[in-house]
Amino acid sequence: MVATVSHENSLVVFIKWVYAGIDRTIFMGLKFTFPGRFVSPLGFLGMITFVLFIILGITGALLMLWYEPELDRAWNSVQNINNTIPFGFHIRNIHYHASNAMVMVALLHMYYQYFSGRYKIRNEIIWVTGVIIGVLTILEAFTGYDIIFSERSELAISIAASLTNSIPVLGPQMRDAFFGGGFHDFVLRFYAFHVFFLPIALLGLMVVHFPRFLVFDVPMVMAVAGAVMITGGVFPIDLGTKFVPTSPPGITVPEWYLTGLYAFLRSQYDKFVTGVAWPGLLILTLMIMPFIDRYKKFSWKDRPLVTAVGITSIAQIMVTTYWGFYIDPNIQKSLLERLVIDPIFLYTVMLLLVPLSFGFTYMIIKLAKNAEARAKAQPKKPAGKSSINIPENWIYIIFVALLAFQIYLNIAAYYAVLSGMKNFSLFIVGIIMLVFAGMFHLYRHTKATASAPRPPTKPITPPTGAKPIPSWSRPPSPGLPPGSAKILSPPPSPKGQSIATQSPSRVDTATSQANLASSKDTPPTEATMPDKTVPEAKMSDIAKTADTDTDKESSMLG
Amino acid sequence: MAQQGPPGSGRKVSRRDFLKLMAAAGTIVTFIPFIDWGKFLPNPAANVSAKAKVELPDGSQANIKTFPVNHSESVIYPKTNDQVLNQESFRLWQFIRLPPELGGGRNDVSAFRMYSQVCLHLWCLWKYWPDPGRKRGECPCHGSMYDPINGKAFAGPASLQSPPSNVLPMLDLQVDGSGNVWILPPNWSPNGNGIVGFGRFLRE
Repeated sequence: MVATVSHENSLVVFIKWVYAGIDRTIFMGLKFTFPGRFVSPLGFLGMITFVLFIILGITGALLMLWYEPELDRAWNSVQNINNTIPFGFHIRNIHYHASNAMVMVALLHMYYQYFSGRYKIRNEIIWVTGVIIGVLTILEAFTGYDIIFSERSELAISIAASLTNSIPVLGPQMRDAFFGGGFHDFVLRFYAFHVFFLPIALLGLMVVHFPRFLVFDVPMVMAVAGAVMITGGVFPIDLGTKFVPTSPPGITVPEWYLTGLYAFLRSQYDKFVTGVAWPGLLILTLMIMPFIDRYKKFSWKDRPLVTAVGITSIAQIMVTTYWGFYIDPNIQKSLLERLVIDPIFLYTVMLLLVPLSFGFTYMIIKLAKNAEARAKAQPKKPAGKSSINIPENWIYIIFVALLAFQIYLNIAAYYAVLSGMKNFSLFIVGIIMLVFAGMFHLYRHTKATASAPRPPTKPITPPTGAKPIPSWSRPPSPGLPPGSAKILSPPPSPKGQSIATQSPSRVDTATSQANLASSKDTPPTEATMPDKTVPEAKMSDIAKTADTDTDKESSMLG
Repeated sequence: MAQQGPPGSGRKVSRRDFLKLMAAAGTIVTFIPFIDWGKFLPNPAANVSAKAKVELPDGSQANIKTFPVNHSESVIYPKTNDQVLNQESFRLWQFIRLPPELGGGRNDVSAFRMYSQVCLHLWCLWKYWPDPGRKRGECPCHGSMYDPINGKAFAGPASLQSPPSNVLPMLDLQVDGSGNVWILPPNWSPNGNGIVGFGRFLRE
């Protein structure tokens, strides 16, 4: 490495110097992986949640420039953002839909970790902080749609305040402390919570929540951002009706992540029990799950009771979420009749879902185990996945075509903005993001295949972008994973090659295997390995959620 | 710590434990004053220590000699000099002189009631309807109905809520020698005058 410095330009030298300096900070404790090929996003849903959080931070900071948290101006200022501020519509819609996406992805992330048993093996703290982060995320989204101060916001604030009041011990005091005395205070305080208290708490908890190994998949991140924008273009969020205390509000329901709670509230049973105790019970159950779960295995198939509890919670959440949305469309009936959910009916269904979910879990575990046994009985097929092989010149043609398409989309977005078609331009920008994701994937795929026909005896050279450490320091020392290829992973080997034929570096394979065996605490992930032979199998494990005990620790991805 | 001296030495505290005790006590004493700082959070503007006029929308003070029986007005309380704050529905109160059959004809304070106008169900603004056959508070949003005599919801969704969320907050009134009506300093708690938007425990 030292020898190569001579023919690098000064910028590269400077960047390396900065990188070496950052090496002294806590950030290098995190190991970022930029996957060299497609990896299932299930393994890094947490990272996607964080990216959405960053998107929300940026768009939210921009909205702060125009939003006025005042009783009589809040709704008008949001209307101003939406209708007159250039690109205000875009920013607001991205902010809104990214908030929904963040809650959704966080939920998926939680359930994926739950069913794959990843909260075990000293990950309890990460799990518990994760549950708290999830609750705060929902509160953050909730305070966000409250400060628009539409009729729906008023309804939501009203419910939140009366729920706080209904807490037996210190409830009224908490309401006074957190909500202040009246609408003027509500708007201002919810704003303060939304833009400062909750985000800062979230950031602090995220520091504790981050595992050491993080996957940052550029195409997937761009695709998620694009999906948020496309949703914003297709389903632009309206302003609602400005809240006027003297006029009766129409029927409103909360955001989808709170309609489950709303269904219980609509059963007219005691506010504290339905609105505070039930959701609290769910949160508490999730939080203590790693301490209840005493199964020695990780797979959902080997933990039937835990899986059944998880399936039950999903079933109950889905049913109540739909029920909370549903309002009898028959306007001949009185509003009360349409809104109230019969508590006996509701709770009977909730109880019935328990045996149904347990039975369902029993069935799918049985089916999965049968399928597993059948797969074992049959002769093993070659592990190679079907891949689309495109000739090299066609890849370049596709690349140029995509670039031309990007230019076309840019022009289209520009003209859409000019002619005032805001949601169409947002939609097109979303498509641009998706096309970029495709281009990036094509780029890395091509890069991987271009370096494929390597001679088998070629000695491995450290990647050029690696940390400037002396090249001789590459011992197979136990407990020290090869961290030199942290940032820029070497071009990965072709997918089709099997482990037996691909042996470009026996030494390195042996090294990484030695590391894998010796360092259970700090397992090397894909990019920390100099070559792809062992991780190749590992990443496919992550992709298809098949989890065996030995692979478990090394597949702990953000 | 495990060895507290010989078994027979009774309650003797070792020097090390004494030091720890002192350190803990010092820490607690140092941070005690900050508990009171929690008063930073609630809004003190609601605490009115003096009695206030019942100021009718036309600017005059309500008077027992002029205020009609079976009639109501919206009154802002506590009133501020800030137009924005005065718009707030949490400061809106329904000042009612009861119908004759409920004692509205009497010439003392018992003829009047003053309830928060914020419906206990979902914070719409209800009002008193003096029409014959109604003579009750009605919320236009979801049809909660309030008894003007004690502010208890007797029909609609608010009546189904558990106490204290089924009785409207109420202000205590006073009539002076010249017949002017005053509002006495309130006690904002469920057991006192109630909490706006939440309710009040009914005292029997």
